[in-house]
Amino acid sequence: MAATRAGPRAREIFTSLEYGPVPESHACALAWLDTQDRCLGHYVNGKWLKPEHRTSVPCQDPITGENLASCLQAQAEDVAAAVEAARTAFKSWSAHPGVVRAQHLVRLAKVIQKHQRLLWTLESLVTGRAVREVRDGDVQLAQQLLHYHAIQASTQEEALAGWEPMGVIGLILPPTFSFLEMMWRICPALAVGCTVVALVPPASPTPLLLAQLSGELGPFPGILNVISGPTSLVPVLASQPGIQKVAFCGALEGGLRLLIQESVWDEAMRRLQERMGRLRSGRGLDGAVDMGARGAAACDLVQRFVREAQSQGAQVFQAGDVPSEHPFYPPTLVSNLPPASPCARAEVPWPVVVASPFRTAKEALALANGTPRGGSASVWSERLGQALELGYGLQVGTVWINAHGLRDPSVPTGGCKESGCSWHGGPDGLYEYLRPSGTPAQLSCLSKNLNYDTFGLAVPSTLPAGTEIGPSPAPPYGLFVGGRFQAPGARSSRPIQDSSGNLHGYVAEGGAKDIRGAVEAAHQAFPGWAGQSPGARAALLWALAAALERRKSTLASRLERQGVELKAAEAEVELSARRLRAWGARAQAQGHTLQVAGLRGPVLRLREPLGVLAVVCPDEWPLLAFVSLLAPALAYGNTVVMVPSAACPLLALEVCQDMATLFPAGLANVVTGDRDHLTRCLALHQDVQAMWYFGSAQGSQFVEWASAGNLKPVWVNRGCLRAWDQEAEGAGPELGLRSARTKALWLPMGD
Amino acid sequence: MSAHNRGTELDLSWISKIQVNHPAVLRRAEQIQARRTVKKEWQAAWLLKAVTFIDLTTLSGDDTSSNIQRLCYKAKYPIREDLLKALNMYDKGITTAAVCVYPARVCDAVKALKAAGCNIPVASVATGFPAGQTHLKTRLEEIRLAVEDGATEIDVVINRSLVLTGQWEALYDEIRQFRKACGEAHLKTILATGELGSLTNVYKASMIAMMAGSDFIKTSTGKETVNATFPVAIVMLRAIRDFFWKTGNKIGFKPAGGIRSAKDSLAWLSLVKEELGDEWLKPELFRIGASTLLSDIERQIYHHVTGRYAAYHDLPMS
Repeated sequence: MAATRAGPRAREIFTSLEYGPVPESHACALAWLDTQDRCLGHYVNGKWLKPEHRTSVPCQDPITGENLASCLQAQAEDVAAAVEAARTAFKSWSAHPGVVRAQHLVRLAKVIQKHQRLLWTLESLVTGRAVREVRDGDVQLAQQLLHYHAIQASTQEEALAGWEPMGVIGLILPPTFSFLEMMWRICPALAVGCTVVALVPPASPTPLLLAQLSGELGPFPGILNVISGPTSLVPVLASQPGIQKVAFCGALEGGLRLLIQESVWDEAMRRLQERMGRLRSGRGLDGAVDMGARGAAACDLVQRFVREAQSQGAQVFQAGDVPSEHPFYPPTLVSNLPPASPCARAEVPWPVVVASPFRTAKEALALANGTPRGGSASVWSERLGQALELGYGLQVGTVWINAHGLRDPSVPTGGCKESGCSWHGGPDGLYEYLRPSGTPAQLSCLSKNLNYDTFGLAVPSTLPAGTEIGPSPAPPYGLFVGGRFQAPGARSSRPIQDSSGNLHGYVAEGGAKDIRGAVEAAHQAFPGWAGQSPGARAALLWALAAALERRKSTLASRLERQGVELKAAEAEVELSARRLRAWGARAQAQGHTLQVAGLRGPVLRLREPLGVLAVVCPDEWPLLAFVSLLAPALAYGNTVVMVPSAACPLLALEVCQDMATLFPAGLANVVTGDRDHLTRCLALHQDVQAMWYFGSAQGSQFVEWASAGNLKPVWVNRGCLRAWDQEAEGAGPELGLRSARTKALWLPMGD
Repeated sequence: MSAHNRGTELDLSWISKIQVNHPAVLRRAEQIQARRTVKKEWQAAWLLKAVTFIDLTTLSGDDTSSNIQRLCYKAKYPIREDLLKALNMYDKGITTAAVCVYPARVCDAVKALKAAGCNIPVASVATGFPAGQTHLKTRLEEIRLAVEDGATEIDVVINRSLVLTGQWEALYDEIRQFRKACGEAHLKTILATGELGSLTNVYKASMIAMMAGSDFIKTSTGKETVNATFPVAIVMLRAIRDFFWKTGNKIGFKPAGGIRSAKDSLAWLSLVKEELGDEWLKPELFRIGASTLLSDIERQIYHHVTGRYAAYHDLPMS
């Protein structure tokens, strides 16, 4: 028999039956860092870029603090070089057929598969996350993402006809992130033909490794470029000429909020605490820990949160097998936090769960929806009816019924409210990086002269402008709010001229108070309208179409006053009626079922209304543009506040007369007045869920800036005219996409 | 072995509201296997511990006194002496927890163990094993005869038809009678979970068996098409925990059927450790029903001690 290798400890372990260390060797990660002489630069155009005279930041093991490498910090010229490389690469990458891109993505997936140990050990080493999570979760999903998007790329020419890639995408990554989050964004971007410049925070080697793996594949070196640098470079990247879109990426999953029904509170808390007691924490590279550590900063953050929660009267329970030294922190259960305390509103840090009780499912829904966040939620209930009620009612991007944290490349993942409105995965993820063919490229020169504080702040005063010599009957007067015409709060009016400069009529001068009233009315009407079946919504839109046709001669004559030929005016009315009918029919398809690998049961991809949608109509096509925007918005279940054409709002007001008799009050509200002022009021209203703006470049810039306040999705035209009478621009799929948001509802099954 | 579970009055409210969430149980089962492993000395020590949980079993039509004798000897000396010495574990008296045989072989086993000079308990399956489809009277008589022959643990099978038709009171009464027939012997109740239809039924049957006075609940006979699986085990372990929380009584758990590799046995140990805690990791509360597992464990210990993989002839057969 060979020599004995047994250690002395077996005897003690036999009695204690404790767990031992299961170290995962990270030799290959260190060897990779050695190939760069422990000095990481940037990866641009298939080559390492290590410019001289740059400051560097150490990349440390978050647990031991050991220096692993130093990372060069980019400067503006490095960013420019990366964008230039991506622009050059875009020319050939986007010109290739989708099949070629598909092959490249599949090759990248295979390279990742071959070097997966390097990838997972490096990621776990530098982030401190449990290696098991990275190995069994992230790395596998990264490959699935590449394969899924390869399939999408290969069918792009047929499935996504009418769309073209945007161009160079700037991707901004937060200080703590998983490389998987980056994959969710770069896979669809690359698949549809975009190229990417990712700005990663200092000391994040994994994206650099991915870029290297991609770059070394050969023919398309510049499609994925990674530069590492401070957040001060974000505006530099965003304003580089050629950058068509800037995508942000969320931080790692934080803590959780847990709502437990009062009747099972004690039992559930007991079980939760019992289970927490069995969690193991330790070095991320240990194969048998449930959780790693996320470095000193994360640890300080959670310490502060728990201390504050305690001082605000919360009960804190901590348990688990956790090393006592910094930066490890035990799993923490916080309960009895007074609802009005600051901690109850604040974002919960990892690894904390804040539990609160509720009495009824209705109350649970109100509590869950009463936060500014809208990423994902899970519902645990054995009652199917109740679970579905909650699943449909939650205002989030993803709902898991009796499961948590499942993801799949074919299921769109996104959010609403302050969790952002972009989508990853599934068909929705592709559209993030596409634009309708023929749309002008985005010019990234933002006007520095726009004063956000004063834009649209004051309304120029208007005086009586002579006698009205309009056709009879007189045009309707007032703001159409809550189903009837109302006098404006300011009690003043603005004159509307016809094409020959004569006074056509007066319209009400709406203001901030009127916008507030209109948004309120729209909110009141929303639950009823959103709850209607698509068929019922279509019926109403068809009724409006019929009413429009009955009113054809009045509408046509008003258009004539605006200088439109009679024939063209009649055609515009007819086309408007057709648009209403078409959207009523299209919105019948409200989603579909996805089948996901490894999951028993369906995933429902739902299309849900956004809520209250603010629409600022263009000056041109006063009837057709108004109706073309109104129809999809209503068809998908939104209620609207609309600012009609500033040049001729009278057409919209004519339509309002029919809406007053046909529509429930508040469904559509129309506010006339100074466009800039009304735009300002709407964009700064926190309870408007989405905004479409078709006006000046300045107005577009203002809307985008102001909407950052509640992160609502916006659609602006940057001062470019649209051909509303053309099918693609006036009624294309883009309008449908922007009229609703997607929700993924996971329904695992089994008895 | 410790005192018996006296059981409780039948309280149907303990099972009436229960609904087991199947997908969630499956996820948890996957997780535990992926998240807990032991290596090196820990692995060796855990494997030796696993040996002490084994009910070394032979339940074949061709069992005779000679292979029963060999089984009993293996139960007494489960791991080669030199390997135990190398691990400094020779004096720990490592034996398997019990031997488990058919009623007709109990005498052989008792005799063989006596000859080997050890007090390893003899467990006997009973009550019309494995289907349980015989008259109650003969099932009860079977228990009494096995006890008379010297079995100190009786592995009974439940009447699956009572579970599938929801006759919980009748099931409780039957197990109660088994309990009585066992006298001083320990009652291990086999739920045959592969034939119960749903995890919810597994939970309910577990709870009834414990209320009726079982000392152990056991997953399967080893003769069903589906045997000891992690999802089923999680449900049974949660039932054991609930019963403990309600009554303060600790009931044992015995997975059986299909546990063949040393790696499997480690996963079962960590499952019990995670779900119930270290108090359950002793032969009084945890058993593994297996016949070929022991030789794989011995093989792994050999590798741990010597750094070489054993040839077939390096280890004695059981």
